[in-house]
Amino acid sequence: MSDLDRQIEQLKRCEPLKESEVKALCLKAMEILVEESNVQRVDAPVTICGDIHGQFYDMKELFKVGGDCPKTNYMFLGDFVDRGFYSVETFLLLLALKVRYPDRITLIRGNHESRQITQVYGFYDECLRKYGSVSVWRYCTDIFDYLSLSALIENKVFSVHGGLSPAISTLDQIRTIDRKQEVPHDGAMCDLLWSDPEDIVDGWGLSPRGAGFLFGDSVVTSFNHSNNIDYICRAHQLVMEGYKWMFKNQIVTVWSAPNYCYRCGNVAAILELDENLNKQFRVFDAAPQESRGAPAKKPAPDYFL
Amino acid sequence: MDVEVDDKDLKAAGAEVLTDDRHGLRIHGWEIVSCNGSILNSSSLITWEEKLKTSHLPEMVFGESCLVLKHATSGTKIHFNAFDALTGWKQEALPPVEVPAAAQWKFRSKPFQQVILDYDYTFTTPYCGSETMEFDTEKRNSEEFLEASCSPCWEDCEEQIDVVALASKEPILFYDEVVLYEDELADNGVSLLTVKVRVMPSCWFLLLRFWLRVDGVLMRLRDTRMHCAFSDSANPTVLRESCWREATFEALAAKGYPTDSASYSDPSIISQRLPIIMHKTQKLKVHCNL
Repeated sequence: MSDLDRQIEQLKRCEPLKESEVKALCLKAMEILVEESNVQRVDAPVTICGDIHGQFYDMKELFKVGGDCPKTNYMFLGDFVDRGFYSVETFLLLLALKVRYPDRITLIRGNHESRQITQVYGFYDECLRKYGSVSVWRYCTDIFDYLSLSALIENKVFSVHGGLSPAISTLDQIRTIDRKQEVPHDGAMCDLLWSDPEDIVDGWGLSPRGAGFLFGDSVVTSFNHSNNIDYICRAHQLVMEGYKWMFKNQIVTVWSAPNYCYRCGNVAAILELDENLNKQFRVFDAAPQESRGAPAKKPAPDYFL
Repeated sequence: MDVEVDDKDLKAAGAEVLTDDRHGLRIHGWEIVSCNGSILNSSSLITWEEKLKTSHLPEMVFGESCLVLKHATSGTKIHFNAFDALTGWKQEALPPVEVPAAAQWKFRSKPFQQVILDYDYTFTTPYCGSETMEFDTEKRNSEEFLEASCSPCWEDCEEQIDVVALASKEPILFYDEVVLYEDELADNGVSLLTVKVRVMPSCWFLLLRFWLRVDGVLMRLRDTRMHCAFSDSANPTVLRESCWREATFEALAAKGYPTDSASYSDPSIISQRLPIIMHKTQKLKVHCNL
């Protein structure tokens, strides 16, 4: 058994790698990812997965439902880390699979694959806690910069973490972005990872936060038409039912973190496309409590004041 | 509550754990029940949006979750739920808070026909609990009249919640924390409304907390504490203390405090750094128009 296969087995048991192993793995991953396009071409059949957020045991449920990699060809739409308890193991397992089977798994960048966001929402603290230093966080966030921004399945299904950008009307415009950087606060790359479809606007909307685009029906219609695609597949937003179509089936949100944050009670979904791009959503629940290690779901009673 | 409570403690306090499907206990004439449910599904969300006349609700609305404290003889019912809290948000309707990136965004070329949304995405609410009169069904006929003509209300008072007594480590007979709603502000911070309760042999105490952090901009903490010392009188004395705190990251920086968001993940640790902007203590009274 090669070192890499052994590491994959270890990670599947939710045991993190040694720091030196993470460093070596990241170097190998970098060589693969640097060759990928900003609009990575993906062949069908493929199974599309949304946000995971460090919910390792729930991702194992996902693999039970969708089949193991490399037998199943996977695409993950980002947000591997933050919020859940096992961001380290989750991301490293996906990255190890990427290095072992580069043509059988595609990893797209989400807005949480960023230095700034992971320092606030959990991944940084988790690395510090599990390794006693921030080196692993550095190796991983350096890799984040190499992750592709989007994918195109059989020239017909466009996949991205967040959504569209007013700065982008053609896929070629995405191809020209220099993605090897921290996610910027504005511009096309930021929008692809951050924006949301919104029912109550038709064209473009600006979030009440003063930053962040919302896009409506007509924006999606014209993007899909000019790029000759059937629909857009994205993640980024929690949906109780695991997936949600909008704008007359021109865009679908896929969410793959069941019982999000260990308390929402939502189901999760993955989208399976066969070789003819026929769609099948597979909905699944969170891993049962007994199959996941501690920590306990609820805090102990405290003498709060 | 997956917590071991000593049967001896319960017995000594005269408390009785509910044996039906509900989660809670009876003690000194009070029935205290909590429930933790899932977030609203898409169709319920639409119903709520219609009822609240809004097109936006928090990403996670725990619509079935609640905490209810009912006093049988007086008919007083104090309860906490997301719907009433969001009704409060809708009424207060604060103007939106701009995130730091907004400054840069003003210089971006605007797409044709841009709509700017302007609801309060922080879901800030003045909610400090709901109260009604409610009698047990068997008593209802004779009490219906009271229920219709009496209403509980809060009156300002000088008394304070006895924090020293609360610091004593009496056994906790019942404890729970209920999340009413939560929003991640699209990864720009957190908006969280929760209520925690603990019941001891001598009293119950609860904390309803609205916690908001808009990364790089401001923090807002709106706490409501309620306390009831058990007695055998027909009308229990419930005290309510509301304390609102607020600070901008700019003001914190000026005082020499750190300004990274990661330092402000737990409101109970940093609350003292936020200046108080409102504080009042009230007592629950029942008014009847007989």
